[in-house]
Amino acid sequence: MKFKIPIFDIKNLNFSVKGQKVLSNISLEIFSSEYIAIIGPNGGGKTTLIRMLLGLEKPTSGEIKIFGKKLNDFKEWYKIGFVPQRASHVDSSFPATVLDIVKMGRSSQKTIFSSFGEQDRALVHDAMVKMDVLDLKDKMIGTLSGGQRQRVMIARALASKPEILILDEPNTGVDMASQKRFYALLRTLNQEEKITIVFITHDVGVIADDIARLFTINQKAIICNNPKQTLSCEEMSTLYGIDAHLLHNHKHEH
Amino acid sequence: MLEMFEYDFMQRAFIAGMIIATLASISGTFVVLRHYSMISETLAHSALVGVAVGLVAGFNPLWMAVLVAIISAWLIEYLRSEFSLYSDAVLAILLSGSLAIAVIIVSLGGAFNNSLFSYLFGSILSVSIEDVYTISIFGTIALTSLLLFSKELYFIAYDEEVAKVSGIKVRLLNFLLVSVVAVIIALSIRVVGSLLIGALMVIPTISALQFKVGFLKTIIISLVIALLSVGSGMTLSFYFSLPSGATIVLCVLTIFIVSLLINRK
Ligand SMILES: Nc1ncnc2c1ncn2[C@@H]1O[C@H](COP(=O)(O)OP(=O)(O)O)[C@@H](O)[C@H]1O
Ligand SMILES: [Mg+2]
Repeated sequence: MKFKIPIFDIKNLNFSVKGQKVLSNISLEIFSSEYIAIIGPNGGGKTTLIRMLLGLEKPTSGEIKIFGKKLNDFKEWYKIGFVPQRASHVDSSFPATVLDIVKMGRSSQKTIFSSFGEQDRALVHDAMVKMDVLDLKDKMIGTLSGGQRQRVMIARALASKPEILILDEPNTGVDMASQKRFYALLRTLNQEEKITIVFITHDVGVIADDIARLFTINQKAIICNNPKQTLSCEEMSTLYGIDAHLLHNHKHEH
Repeated sequence: MLEMFEYDFMQRAFIAGMIIATLASISGTFVVLRHYSMISETLAHSALVGVAVGLVAGFNPLWMAVLVAIISAWLIEYLRSEFSLYSDAVLAILLSGSLAIAVIIVSLGGAFNNSLFSYLFGSILSVSIEDVYTISIFGTIALTSLLLFSKELYFIAYDEEVAKVSGIKVRLLNFLLVSVVAVIIALSIRVVGSLLIGALMVIPTISALQFKVGFLKTIIISLVIALLSVGSGMTLSFYFSLPSGATIVLCVLTIFIVSLLINRK
């Protein structure tokens, strides 16, 4: 690990809004092929942290490096697949078939003179197969169930052949059966395709066996390098506060 | 051949009208999906300032309309991205402000109020052969730039932040879109009028959306609706001596109501 360049390298990151601290002195690294879960109470700053990693929000202070480069110098954004928190709440009248959406995953890598070619078609097809949405390809996005929509969003991200997938609570409003299937798909992507996964979720108990490390974000960050012993991380319980019992429950289910 | 095509001015108007229908409906799809309808309405009024300057100073009013609309589009996009606060209020101010400025310029300059009037409501009688050339040339440039970036613009309309994260130059393309829309609106006000062009941009797409089909089909349906509306509007306005812009808008509204009815579940 020592000589490897991390995908994300965050040092002493601080973020305040109107004098209110949202993130305080966060330092962490995310390495290639890791599967990382991020948990924390609502309003703890998970989404804000991700938005800063992606350059959507400027930190008050601190340093972020992405593939060894400063955010401003980084150009290979196709290496990052991002599924935001509100992704499954698409406007139901938006004129898009599943195929239209997954094809968007290729559009950033097109220059105006290179048209949609054989290779793009193949990647779009592959992504739909992987996320099991191929038979939905001509369906309108607004008519899909929450679970189907979630898989389409990931397929769109996969179509750009990302090295890392960042998912911000993509499973809100998705039924239990679809969630299980979804977790299995993520595990496959991580283990077989070696795609790095950063997954913000409340369901950490269910994926405890899949993940390499667990970050708890509640203004500060606490990093658990051995998530199977998550609950022995004492700081985490204090940090996580009242939500900690949720973890226990999920552990039992597992 | 139909009687109305025996008149040169009707031939010119018809060609100009069909080009404008194409431009307005295709760009209109992006305008609607991007929630820019109010921006296009404001640009239509800014273009009038250009027309007024042109009429008074003796420049080509259409060219001046294009110029002023583009400047206004950049101003709006700049204000929108820098100060997200009250952006619809800013648009309302610019809209009535430009209309007032246009009217004052025209009345101070002593130009015929009639000429300005024809740009407010559109007039097919006044379409000259130079206008047809201007509309074709600027229209082709505007539409081509839009189509070259249609995939990116579609992605931005779907989710601006995700588009940005995947490396799309969102700011630049937003400027491109408003500029293209500004040009198209400025070109259209001669035929449809600045008070009515918004309808021709927005209603074909809103009607097409009722069919709940994918992106390409939505664009095609809205194009067909716009061509039909302009064609039938001009024909009706010729045979019944009705004002062209208003007749076109009533035709597109009728098609909208029909598409609502046939897609009712
Ligand atoms: N740009 C911003 N403006 C105002 N408040 C913000 C901004 N970004 C983050 N916040 C605040 O930061 C806190 C953390 O929010 P968030 O990152 O969404 O938490 P989480 O995703 O963990 O639920 C919230 O209280 C939110 O209101
Ligand atoms: Mg969040």
